[in-house]
Amino acid sequence: MRIEEHPILKFDRGKKITFYYNGEKIEGYENETVAEALHAAGIRRLGYSPELHRPRGLFCAIGNCSSCFMTVNGEPNVRVCVLKCAEGMQVEEQQSKGVVKI
Amino acid sequence: MKKAYDVIIIGGGIVGCAVAFELAKRGRSDILLIDKEYLSSGATGRCGAGIRQQWGSMLNATLAVESTHIFETLEDYTGYDRSCGLNQSGYLLLAYTEKEWEQFQENLAVQHSLGVDSFTVGLDENIYQYVPHINTAGLYGATFCQKDGHADPFHCTFAYAQGAKKMGVDILTYTHVDQILAEQGKVKGVLTDQGEFSANTIINCAGGWAPGLAAQVGDEIPVFPERHQIMVTEPVAPLGADGKYMPMVMSFSRKFYVQQTPHGSLIMGIGETEPISFNINSTWQFLEKCSKVVTDTLPALKELRIVRQWAGHYDMSPDRSPVIEFSPHAEGLVTICGFSGHGFMVAPRTAILVANALCGEDDSIDIKMFASSRFQSGKLLLEPSVV
Repeated sequence: MRIEEHPILKFDRGKKITFYYNGEKIEGYENETVAEALHAAGIRRLGYSPELHRPRGLFCAIGNCSSCFMTVNGEPNVRVCVLKCAEGMQVEEQQSKGVVKI
Repeated sequence: MKKAYDVIIIGGGIVGCAVAFELAKRGRSDILLIDKEYLSSGATGRCGAGIRQQWGSMLNATLAVESTHIFETLEDYTGYDRSCGLNQSGYLLLAYTEKEWEQFQENLAVQHSLGVDSFTVGLDENIYQYVPHINTAGLYGATFCQKDGHADPFHCTFAYAQGAKKMGVDILTYTHVDQILAEQGKVKGVLTDQGEFSANTIINCAGGWAPGLAAQVGDEIPVFPERHQIMVTEPVAPLGADGKYMPMVMSFSRKFYVQQTPHGSLIMGIGETEPISFNINSTWQFLEKCSKVVTDTLPALKELRIVRQWAGHYDMSPDRSPVIEFSPHAEGLVTICGFSGHGFMVAPRTAILVANALCGEDDSIDIKMFASSRFQSGKLLLEPSVV
């Protein structure tokens, strides 16, 4: 769900794109962050905490808190709340600590 | 509070706490240990906490090997109810020149004579079994020892301190020793910002601050503080082979060390030329320099974010070996300092050495060779392999 009309804010969402969440097709807009698009698609769980493996979701939404770490195009620990959507992007839940690409 | 003790120890780092423990164990438990802040607040709590047995000189290798044996059972040894965090994930030492490689062969002979299981690692397939993502360009050779590793410097210090406390040692933190009091060539006690305390023996374990205190009675110990910085990355899944954490990777010629902690973060530092100073401020220049040096050998780390940095100081002696000085000016004063960046890993054995000497017990190592008079006589304790 997205807010379409707002008394103060205007939404310049840009072009519609598709990206992948755990292999599943998700629609988003190029001026949205990955977290926004996932949220709009009803996805609240973004990954699992490293030590106790509990579900983690969006928390600060401004790139500070590390709660929204996901693996994007193979790169671990990406803060999806400050990353813009892009066509064909592969976004994956992290089960634990990020795995560095070697 | 009690004002008179048999022994006063200045400095609550790993050395001070270990000496307190070893003395108490030998029956001399009428001890007051004083620190100007909290236990491990100086160099100990700021160190890289590596434990290495791959040394070049027989002396350092002996101290390190025997200390490692103690670290392996430190909880039982001190009666500590928590873990000291020993993780023997190994050290991979890299040689980048032929000369360095020849030195490594000599070092291996020294280590083998002490029973250390260190060995040469082939640069073809073999090295990737230890560090799968290493860049071998420019490498001449490497050696590995699985029993090397790291421990938690805070818990190790607290283990010794708690063990000492149980045997009756008093610990006074946030107390500054202003003056070592001596009269007619003999120590009397110390003057602190909490008043005067008297003692027959004073053991000065104040690290970089130790030479300044010793100078008050006329001892000249050429040991100076030198800043060394450290940085830490975000935690990631184990980077070693077979899902294991990456061992310590270290080079003396390129002057860097980097290891993965059980938390998953990578701790690293470099050897820099620094002025003599108590300055422990952090700099951004270090972040850039250290990243460059380390990612040249381990390119996979390029993608990692740095989350923290700090600095501490090494107490540098001219030959990079410790100084144990029985004061020629004030009887009863012993200064232990000059560990030059590897005090943590040799502290357990050094403390035994000092305690044996103070209690008149025999020791296989001659403590006299650590006196600062070696800098005049030229009988230096040289170590070929340090960052």
